[in-house]
Amino acid sequence: MSESYRPESLDELLKLMDEKDLIPFAGGTDLMVQNAAPVLPGFKKDVVFLGHLKELQQIRKEGHDLVIGAAATLSAIESHPDTPGLLREAVALIAAPALRNRGTMGGNICNASPAGDSIPPLYALDAKFRLQSRKGERVVKAEDFFKGPGRTDRKKEEILKEIIVPLKEWNIKKYRKVGTRAANALTKCSITAAAKVKGGRIDDISIAFGAVGPVIVRDRTLEQNIKGLTMEEMKEKIPSILSDYSAIIVPIDDQRSTAVYRKQVCLNLLKDFLEQDMKG
Amino acid sequence: MNNISTPVRRLDAVEKTAGYTKYIADRDFGDLLYGKFLRSERPRARLVSVRKPALPDGYYIIDKDDIPGENAIHMLGADWPVFADDEVRFIGQSIALVVGPDRKVLEELVNQFEVRYEDLPAVLSLEDSMALKGGALHNDDNCYADYHLLKGDPDRAFEEADHIYEHTYETGPQEHVYMETQGFVGVWEDGKVHLHGSLQCPFYVRHAVTPVLGVKDDGVRVTQAPTGGAFGGKEHYPDIISTALAVAVDKLKKSIGIFYERGEDIVNSVKRHPSRITIKTALDKEGNITAMDFDSILDGGAFESCSCIVLQRTIFHATGVYDIPSTKLRGRALATNHIPFDAFRGFGAPQAIFALETHMDHLAEMAGVDPVAYKERYFMKKGSVTITNGKIHEEVKLPEILARAKEMSDYDRKAKEYGKGGNRGIGLSFFNHGGAFTGNGEKAIINAHVKVRKRADDVVEIYVSNVEMGQGLMTTFSKIAAQTLEIPIEKIEFIQPDTDIVPDSGPTVASRSIVIVGTLVGKASAKLKKQWVDGEEITVWQEYEEPDFVIPWNQDTFQGDAYPSYSWGVNVVEVEYDPVTFEVSIVGLWNVYDVGVPIDRMIVEGQIEGGLVQSLGWAYLEKMEFKEGRIQQRTMADYVIPTTLDVPAIENDFILNPYPEGAFGAKGAGEIVHNGGAPAFVSAVEMASGKRFDTIPLTPERIMEAGR
Amino acid sequence: MKKKIDFVLNGEKISMEIDPLKRLLDVLREDCSLTSVKEGCGEGECGACSVLLDGEIVNSCLIPVGTVEGAAVETVEGIRESENGKRIIDAFAEEGAVQCGFCTPGMMVGAEWILRKYENPTSDEIRTALSGNLCRCTGYDMIISAVEAAAKGGRK
Ligand SMILES: Cc1cc2nc3c(=O)[nH]c(=O)nc-3n(C[C@H](O)[C@H](O)[C@H](O)COP(=O)(O)OP(=O)(O)OC[C@H]3O[C@@H](n4cnc5c(N)ncnc54)[C@H](O)[C@@H]3O)c2cc1C
Ligand code: FES
Ligand code: FES
Repeated sequence: MSESYRPESLDELLKLMDEKDLIPFAGGTDLMVQNAAPVLPGFKKDVVFLGHLKELQQIRKEGHDLVIGAAATLSAIESHPDTPGLLREAVALIAAPALRNRGTMGGNICNASPAGDSIPPLYALDAKFRLQSRKGERVVKAEDFFKGPGRTDRKKEEILKEIIVPLKEWNIKKYRKVGTRAANALTKCSITAAAKVKGGRIDDISIAFGAVGPVIVRDRTLEQNIKGLTMEEMKEKIPSILSDYSAIIVPIDDQRSTAVYRKQVCLNLLKDFLEQDMKG
Repeated sequence: MNNISTPVRRLDAVEKTAGYTKYIADRDFGDLLYGKFLRSERPRARLVSVRKPALPDGYYIIDKDDIPGENAIHMLGADWPVFADDEVRFIGQSIALVVGPDRKVLEELVNQFEVRYEDLPAVLSLEDSMALKGGALHNDDNCYADYHLLKGDPDRAFEEADHIYEHTYETGPQEHVYMETQGFVGVWEDGKVHLHGSLQCPFYVRHAVTPVLGVKDDGVRVTQAPTGGAFGGKEHYPDIISTALAVAVDKLKKSIGIFYERGEDIVNSVKRHPSRITIKTALDKEGNITAMDFDSILDGGAFESCSCIVLQRTIFHATGVYDIPSTKLRGRALATNHIPFDAFRGFGAPQAIFALETHMDHLAEMAGVDPVAYKERYFMKKGSVTITNGKIHEEVKLPEILARAKEMSDYDRKAKEYGKGGNRGIGLSFFNHGGAFTGNGEKAIINAHVKVRKRADDVVEIYVSNVEMGQGLMTTFSKIAAQTLEIPIEKIEFIQPDTDIVPDSGPTVASRSIVIVGTLVGKASAKLKKQWVDGEEITVWQEYEEPDFVIPWNQDTFQGDAYPSYSWGVNVVEVEYDPVTFEVSIVGLWNVYDVGVPIDRMIVEGQIEGGLVQSLGWAYLEKMEFKEGRIQQRTMADYVIPTTLDVPAIENDFILNPYPEGAFGAKGAGEIVHNGGAPAFVSAVEMASGKRFDTIPLTPERIMEAGR
Repeated sequence: MKKKIDFVLNGEKISMEIDPLKRLLDVLREDCSLTSVKEGCGEGECGACSVLLDGEIVNSCLIPVGTVEGAAVETVEGIRESENGKRIIDAFAEEGAVQCGFCTPGMMVGAEWILRKYENPTSDEIRTALSGNLCRCTGYDMIISAVEAAAKGGRK
């Protein structure tokens, strides 16, 4: 049977993480389902609660960034005035209110599910993660953090402390989650796309797809190819853009949907973004 | 509206909302042991050996060798064993029950069994079943039932046809997802087993358990606990749990509870029968339908259960609300190595109605006519001959129902405006549902009795075996008694169904509760009223009497009146379709029904709305797939039912059509409400997307793949 | 490994020696005999186990009791006697929002949460707020009407 710890401070948490082999426990909405068992949850290791630590719950603006404490609840992020629109939309569509009142963004990230809904916006918005251990801290880019389903760059003694989201100006935005139903739904696939268009020219563009590969699909080279184009040039290139993306979106069949559907819908959504959302 | 229809507060509403109601898992039975099943991991195999784990003190294993009577669960047939004997037939079949105090230890013990199987070729599809793969599972043809119906002269009609259209329609399994999972407690009391459970049919449980224990009828007692939803899923499946549990209680003389966790329930309990129905239609030169030929196949799963009866309802509803001059039908329920399929609200009729309504829509489209206008031409009327050569005895008020539904939904304008493929669509379905048991079942099989007893304090008690499971029966029965006796409803007491206390008024199924048993309660109350003397105890009995107008039923030839009366309805569904993601959202829902006279309008509207949403879930959300006989959607995250945001507000209305044989003119309303949602939905999506479909659940994946 | 946990349950301070990993749902049902809190799924999908934690709706099946140290937990048993509680019960009974009743205590917790959160909730807001509370019987419409009616009855 597992032991559980409830540190009083971040320091104490880091000390415990350093000395023992522990499962960090934030909202527990993933952990309690994954370890469900009769009578008591069946954790493989001992557990350390961190959801209650105020130091990890802060959401604040720091220069041109929004810094989100890893243990801030999804509800807190959803209702915070400075949360970027794309992230807010994604968070608001995670599960249902009761889940969002407990679940955290740190948990959503560290669970590293390809269907984790806050992750595609974090990719698209160039977010970075601050990891901390007793020995110190380091900052990792979102796309360097995820190694595969359930696998991340986090070291055993580290915790995710905060999420740093650059507050960039995007004037065209699209978020769309395609789930198993209208609410309280797991994601079949999603698109997060943003562009900055000035004087008819595409200054910046960022496109991420969720749940269609072992990690989020975002390709900077393909984005680079679009940057700098005028809208007219881009429109002409839509078929070739779609075929480029078609080559890197390689989803699977599972109990929720099919590979064929996921891919087709992602391409349709991308096309819709390029043709409709980028109209004006 | 009629006085009886004026809503009263449900008698159980406050207690339930405020959390006082004790469901089976909420009750304190003192020192309770728990039971957990060891289950088959293979769809079809010979059981070579079962090595049992060493047991800690206070733990027990119960299996086939502990059964004092027969190792057979008596439902209609008795082919489903309590514990597997030398072969297993589906993944999840019970092999043994482990009993003990700690649920964690039980789980470990179940995992420590070593079961050796010798795999046999599994029957994983209807094709496998028809090809008798691996040898027949049932009889020599794998047919639990193979029925034929004939009306008119279809052969001639097909010969003379100008045009023939044939198409096949399929529906998937559906899980009940009653919010309260299966749960039972057995205690040893007064020298016999007393079972308390979440269930629909106390006497079915008793009927199943007594031969297993080898005792007489009153050798087992069954009490219904407040039941958190059932929808057919607690009609026969409780027999599976309670027989094994009774063997354990009988042997150990201890109190034992079996409570399913959700995942266990989804994967191991019975489901709605998947169907494949082929309809062939003969059209004459003017495009009139002259005949239809049906080949209706249900996947019955690994054991017979009540598949034959479900199939009967499927075939008797094959032509829905239409009078088709000549019809021919073959209906089969086939054995496979899937989990057994069983009762689910609608009981086989929704499958038939889906196929028929969708087929009619396609015929209308080919004729270039609005589907509603097309279908109207074939409406049954009073005196119409049914598919079993019986008769419609009542006034058919479909024209009034349709007019009201059109008015509420603005169907005509919308259908015209939206056109085909404009991403918005409206669909309308017609359907009926025969009340009560098929044919002469009410007299020949059930022969219900009810008891009404006035106590000396002038409170009147109702004794029936029909249960409150959410449908409002406790309130409607009390209302019938109160209004008949002209006393306040507070003076009525509904006695908790218990086989040692109440008479057998039959199971809580087949929309029979109000129209059959409610009527008997009304008659008994009327008798009581005549004998009423203040302050005296009086008991009145009432037995079922068959209406005298029916065309006698022949159970061998299926000829005559399959049902004495029908309820009728129209569902209208409006949708928006997103051609980018192939997703559909429902934006409008309207329903109009003839259920005779609703006994409490609000309670019936509750049935209408709940049943409609369930049928919409079946139509597009609730996907359940088998892979090598194993269910793929194993949690509520993967088997998804509608949420508050998947359905809009719903509007309902009634057309009154009092049924002289029913209490206060009532007909059945519990099941018909599941019949029309799916075809109306599919019809709306066909309009919105401009595509044509034949299979549900109509998921976005299917919509994408469907060609024109 | 039992530990001492203190929290406020339905307005009363309580203290118990208990395994902190035990689900709040089981603690409420087994150790506190509060059986209004139901288990419908045990996986956060159905909302039958809804309780208020520091005033916010949560699923007690996903919460180890050790994490509610110092917090306030409210169940239907603590709500049903209040002004809001009575109004909600009344509205549920009046509007036909109850069928089998298994989802209903969870819905009632959701309704209480909505009444505290919104002055005049719209039906869309109610639907969104209750989107994690599943009901298989009613088709939801009458539940939504009941919450609307309860909210219109005034706020407390
Ligand atoms: C019914 C239901 C519906 C859901 N729907 C969705 C949905 O629509 N979209 C979606 O994306 N997710 C969904 N989820 C998943 C889950 O709710 C989210 O992933 C949530 O954000 C997890 O947060 P948590 O705090 O509860 O994580 P926890 O369960 O506490 O932790 C998750 C993982 O992260 C680790 N972890 C947590 N915090 C830290 C930290 N600070 N440092 C290091 N490691 C950490 C844990 O060790 C664990 O491995 C759903 C879950 C349920 C039960
Ligand atoms: S039991 Fe907790 S959400 Fe279903
Ligand atoms: S009333 Fe039965 S689940 Fe809601």
